[in-house]
Amino acid sequence: MARLILMFNKQVVKEFPFVKDNMTIGRKPENDIPIDNLAVSGFHARIDKMGSEFILTDLQSTNGTFVNDEKVTSHKLKHGDNIMIGKHVILFVASEQERAAGKETSAADLDQTMMLDTAKQRELLSKQKAPVQEVQRPEKIGVLTFIDGSDLGEVELTKKLTRIGKAENAEVRLSGLFMGATAATISKRPSGYTISYTGGMAKLKVNGQVVKESIPLKDFDTVEIGSYKFQFYQKEVKPS
Amino acid sequence: MNRISSGITDVGLKREGNEDAFSADDELGLYVVADGMGGHLAGEVASRVAVDLLGKTYRAWKDAEPGHDHLFGRVDHSLSTEGNYILSGIRLANRVIYEMARSKEEYEGMGTTVAALAVSEDLIIAANVGDSRIYLIRNEGLERLSRDHTIVAEQVEMGVMTEEEADASPMKHILTRNLGSAEDVDAEVFEIEPANGDRFLLFSDGITDLISDEEILAMAIEEESPDALCRNFVNKALKRGGHDNATVICLSLRGMVRPQAGIFTKMGGVLADIFINTNKFFKKFTP
Repeated sequence: MARLILMFNKQVVKEFPFVKDNMTIGRKPENDIPIDNLAVSGFHARIDKMGSEFILTDLQSTNGTFVNDEKVTSHKLKHGDNIMIGKHVILFVASEQERAAGKETSAADLDQTMMLDTAKQRELLSKQKAPVQEVQRPEKIGVLTFIDGSDLGEVELTKKLTRIGKAENAEVRLSGLFMGATAATISKRPSGYTISYTGGMAKLKVNGQVVKESIPLKDFDTVEIGSYKFQFYQKEVKPS
Repeated sequence: MNRISSGITDVGLKREGNEDAFSADDELGLYVVADGMGGHLAGEVASRVAVDLLGKTYRAWKDAEPGHDHLFGRVDHSLSTEGNYILSGIRLANRVIYEMARSKEEYEGMGTTVAALAVSEDLIIAANVGDSRIYLIRNEGLERLSRDHTIVAEQVEMGVMTEEEADASPMKHILTRNLGSAEDVDAEVFEIEPANGDRFLLFSDGITDLISDEEILAMAIEEESPDALCRNFVNKALKRGGHDNATVICLSLRGMVRPQAGIFTKMGGVLADIFINTNKFFKKFTP
């Protein structure tokens, strides 16, 4: 069984046997290896056991994770690796079998055809006339223009899922006696924007027709929810 | 809400090993299909890592304090917190596979697609990289909740190629994005509101290459049971040659109750509204 030995100032603080599928390292006490030090992030790094291998991953920590003095985001641990987190060092000790397994796997033959051979892909891509890899497709974003005299004005749909209704978590909040908590939702899907009726006594109408389920939204569709009325259109924005 | 799912993966008739991996966790509400690629056993490793890491991170982040502190990469503000968990999990899996592919000769060129569906009471998150697909069946209609990252699919979207040309193209299987070939990856993530009776299907291309969207819908309408439906899809793919590993997950949502307020709370709400509105009214007219 692999072990992790936590050290500070060259002194062993504690030893942790690797008994689970993964172990987390961080400042919070919920971690498998808690390190109570401000230089350590709440959840700083994690080690996943994948078969006979141990993969160390930095969990976007503030001060980074280092292995043998090199900053890593993800790293396959070898026997004897020094993981440095803040001023603490964690020594990775693989078991006898794992050390043996590591040596064996070096001689392997690539026998199978790959579905996506990166070299082949590059070759095929170079033959393509149209530049396919880095096409800057202009992104479109939906906009609601309220035309009911309310002071909502223009609302940009910045979320993939926009909830419209009385509820506090609604992105577009509408009031009214019969307005549903979430009266309708607009979601951006692979096929485009879709509006769905979700609840409440306020009716959803698109271009005057009552909608009880979902329909795709087209530019300049007029939508009514209760006494509210808005027009939908999409504008192009530069890809971020 | 009840999530009832079933999943099968089949090696097919032409391949020696199965490079697909999947996981269907009704309790967590997470469903993942990954189609690995790369020589030796690398494809198997890549798809397994993607499926496992996505499940582990999603569970861990859901259980942790809500927020974005532990996410991997930039927060995407167009998505919900849970949507960011999925996005972040995919980014992390990509990085891990990328680093593994660089660290070992036999892992060189290793990669995988991923299609992930997270289902909770009030939100459906569908995310993908590559050409594994997610479909929604609602009111007897079929809708894709994923976007293929292949050269031909992108050309169809740009209007350079028709669907028919795309289907016949020899480059149908060349991906423009996968997990493992670049340090960072952009996943496609969509969020929608769930509805009672929604059904979802996740496929690797071993199925979708051989069964059209129209057939998928017809088969799903004919067979209600997720177990039997999964079996039907795989059998059909095998009958048509089974040239590739084939994986399918079928999921049905049942017994979803929207938090409907009782009649008294409703009346209370109405009275409160009247009260507030009359107050507003009087305020307007009191000097």
